[in-house]
Amino acid sequence: MTESTADAGATTGRACWDCGAVVEGEHFCPSCGKIQPPLPGQDYFAFFGLPRKLALDAKQLEQKFHQLSWKLHPDNFSTASAYERDLSLEKAAVLNDAYRTLREPVARVEYLLELEGIRREGEIKQQAPPDLLEEVFELNEYLEELRAARRAGSDSREVDDLRHRLEAARREFEGKLEAVDAELSACFEKWDALVDSNPAGAARKQTMEQMSEILNRHSYLRNLVRNVTEELEA
Amino acid sequence: MGQIVGIDLGTTYSLVAYVEKTTGRPVCIADEAGRTLLPSVVSLDAGGSFVVGWPARERLLTQPERTVYSVKRLMGKGLADVEDELKLFHWRVAPGSDSVIRIALGEKVLTPPEISALILRELKQRAEKFFGEEVTQAVITVPAYFNDGQRQATKDAGRIAGLEVLRLVNEPTAASLAYGLDQRREGVVAVYDFGGGTFDISILKLKEGLFEVQATNGDTHLGGDDIDDLLLEQARAEIRARFQTDITAAEQVQDLRQRLIAAKHELSSAEQTAIRFAVPGKGSYERVLGRAEFESWIAPIVARTIGPCKLALKDAGVKPEEIDEVVLVGGSTRLPLVRRRVEEFFGRRPHTELNPDEVVALGAAVQADILATGVKDMLLLDVTPLSLGIETIGGAVAKIIPRNSTIPASATELFTTSVDNQTGVDIHVVQGERELVQDCRSLARFTLKIPPQPAGLPRVEVKFLIDANGILSVTARDLRTGEQQSVEVKPSYGLTDEEVERMILESIEYAEADFQQVQLIAARTEGENLLRATQKALAEEQAKQLAREERERIERAVAEVKEAMATQDYKLIRERLEELNQATYHLAEMLMDTAVQAALKGKRADEVNL
Repeated sequence: MTESTADAGATTGRACWDCGAVVEGEHFCPSCGKIQPPLPGQDYFAFFGLPRKLALDAKQLEQKFHQLSWKLHPDNFSTASAYERDLSLEKAAVLNDAYRTLREPVARVEYLLELEGIRREGEIKQQAPPDLLEEVFELNEYLEELRAARRAGSDSREVDDLRHRLEAARREFEGKLEAVDAELSACFEKWDALVDSNPAGAARKQTMEQMSEILNRHSYLRNLVRNVTEELEA
Repeated sequence: MGQIVGIDLGTTYSLVAYVEKTTGRPVCIADEAGRTLLPSVVSLDAGGSFVVGWPARERLLTQPERTVYSVKRLMGKGLADVEDELKLFHWRVAPGSDSVIRIALGEKVLTPPEISALILRELKQRAEKFFGEEVTQAVITVPAYFNDGQRQATKDAGRIAGLEVLRLVNEPTAASLAYGLDQRREGVVAVYDFGGGTFDISILKLKEGLFEVQATNGDTHLGGDDIDDLLLEQARAEIRARFQTDITAAEQVQDLRQRLIAAKHELSSAEQTAIRFAVPGKGSYERVLGRAEFESWIAPIVARTIGPCKLALKDAGVKPEEIDEVVLVGGSTRLPLVRRRVEEFFGRRPHTELNPDEVVALGAAVQADILATGVKDMLLLDVTPLSLGIETIGGAVAKIIPRNSTIPASATELFTTSVDNQTGVDIHVVQGERELVQDCRSLARFTLKIPPQPAGLPRVEVKFLIDANGILSVTARDLRTGEQQSVEVKPSYGLTDEEVERMILESIEYAEADFQQVQLIAARTEGENLLRATQKALAEEQAKQLAREERERIERAVAEVKEAMATQDYKLIRERLEELNQATYHLAEMLMDTAVQAALKGKRADEVNL
C-alpha cells in the first residue's frame, strides 16, 4: 500500500502487453485499445480514477460503475483471446468489489482506514458509547423480559406492552445512529480538505483515529438496533 | 462460430431457443410435431436405449421403474438433502449417493447430471436438425437461487451432452432480458418465477439496456411439484378412507398423479373439475374439486413464496410500492391464487402477456446472441444469491463475499501458520447466511501447501473468485516468493473432473449417433438444394436440347436421390447425389456456356436466368 492519496495520476511507465505503447493506470491501452492487466497494489479509489476522498457523490459513482461495467464485463470478451478473457474476469470482479465497498459510506471509510493502516481488515471494536450505558442497560432488560414472557407464554397484553417499549427504544437508538452517521459525514468533509491541502501525517492520523472511534460506536449501535429488530420480527 | 443456442433446462419442461438473424428476435425451436416444450423426463427402454421427452412421459404410466422425472431437484445434492422427497418421487437411489445421488434406472445407474445431459442432448439434436449443422455451444439457465454445487452440476450436464456452456444465466434474469427487449423499458422490475420445482424472486433495475440485478432470493425446493405431491397425498388419504386401500404401486401412483395434475391445470380457468380414478379391485374414486377448496389446500405452499419476496426487497432496499412492474414467469404462475397473492403483495397487477413457459428460454437465446455477436446494447449484471464464507475457529463462518454481490466478485484472504514447520492449512468453503458452518452448505475443502517455516512467517494469499456463472474458483499465491500455487479443491457435493471426463467418454457412443444425425441432416439439406437446382435447370430453354436418354438419366438419378433421402442412410444419399451430379454435368455445362456467351455480349449472367 502506498501513502499517496491518488494513484490514478502516478506514472508507472508500463507498456501495453500487446502493442508496447505506454500505459499508465488506464484499463485500456490508449493506442491499441486492448484491456490491460490490473495495476499491482491499485486500490479501489484508484480503480475508479478517484482520489482517496470520502465524500463521494452516489449518483456519479454509480454512473462511473455503469460505464466501466459496459467496458469490462466478460460478455464483451466472449470472442477475445483466453488472456483477455481472464483479464476481463479479474478486472470486472475488482470493479464490482470496489463498487460494493465504495458505495456504502461505512464500508468506504473502513476500507480507507485499512488502506492507511489505521484499522486491520475485519477488525470491529464494538464500543458502547459511555453516555448511553444506562439506556443500553434498560434496552437489554426489555429484550430479556420479552424473551422470558414469550417463553412463559404470557398473555398478549404483557407481550404487547413490552413490544411497545422496545419499539420506542429502537426509535431512540435509530435516532442516535443517525447522529453518529452525521458525525461521520462531517469527518468526511474534514478528511477531504486534508487530502487537498496534504498536510503532515499527524493531522491526517488524528482525523482517521477520530473516524475509527466513530465507527466503533456506529457498529455497536447498528448491532443493537439489528438485535431489537430481529426480536420484534421474531 | 456455429449457432449458439439458449436452453431452459427446467424441472418439468425444457426448451431450446435462438435469435433469428433477420428479425433479431428470439424464437423457440419446435419439434417435428410443432411442440416447443420437451418434458424433462428420461426413460430406459428394454433394449438399453434412452427415450427422452414426450414418449418418456407416457412411459411414466407403463414403466415407472425405468423412467425418471424432475431430476433437476437432485442436481448438486447428496442423499441426506433429499430423503424426505424420495418417499414421494419414486426415484430408486443406488448405493454411494452421499455426495452425488445415483439413480437406478433399469439396469443402469446414472447421476442427475448424466440424466440432464440426455435432455440437453435431445434439445441439441432438435436444434441441429433445425439449423442443418452441428451445435456445440449453449447458454443454459439455472434458478437464481441455485448454489455453487447445483450450478456446477448443470455445467457438467452440458459437458456430458457435448455442449460447451458459455454461460449459466439465472432464470428470472433471462426472463427480464426477453421482457425488456420488447420495449426499451426502464425502472425497477420484480420477476416472480414460480416453476415446476423452484421458486425465485429477483429485483432488477433496468436502465438504457443495462439489466442490473439488485437482489435475489428464493427456494430451490418449492414449485408445482409440491402442489402435485400435496394433491396426491390428499387423494390417497381420501381413497384410504373410502376404500380401505392404499395406492402404492408406481403405475397407479403415476396415473393418479397425472389425473390430479390435469385437474390442477383445469382449475386455472374452470371453477370446478371432476377427478376420476379407478381403484383396482375396489371401485371408482370420483369427486368434484372446486377452486375454493383447491386453493385452501395449496394456500400454505403459495404463502411460502412471500417470505423470499420480502427478503429480496429488503436486500434491494426497495419498498413494494417502488416496484414499477411485476413479471410472472413459470407454469405455476398460471394459478389464479398465485396471481392474486402477487398482486396483493406488490400492490399492482402483474404482467402476464409473455408465455410463462417460453420466456426463460427466449432470454437465454438473447444472452447467447450477445455472446456470439458481441452486441453491445444490452448488458446483464447479475448477483450471487448466497454469501460465501470460510470456516474459522469453533465452526463459525467468516463471510468473505456477501449475498447479492454483483458477479464476477472476488475476495482475498491471507493465511499463515500457527505452529512451527506446519506444512498445510485446511480451508473449508461454505455458502449460506447462517453463523455456523453446520447450518451452511459445504462447498469444498482444500489444503493449502506451505513450505516448513517458523509459525506465523508464511504468508499465503488465497483468492476466491465467483465468475459470471456464479461458480467459484480458488487460486493461491505465496506472497514471500510471489509464486502461484495450484489448489486442488475437492467439491463436497457433485462430480469430480475425472468423473465428468469418464462420463463424456461414455457418452461417445451417443456422440457417434449424434455425428450420424448431423451427417444425415447435412446430406439431406444438400440433396434438397441439388434437387431444386436440377428442377430449375431442366425447366430452362437450353434443357430442351438435351438428348432423350440424357434427360431420362437425370430423371432416374433424381428419383434415386429422393428415394435415398427417405432413408436414414447418409452415405447412400451422398452416393446418389454424386450420381446426380454426374448425370447433370452436361446440362450444367450447357447452361454455363450460355452464361459465358451472355457475359461476352455484355449482359449480366443473372439476366439469362442461370
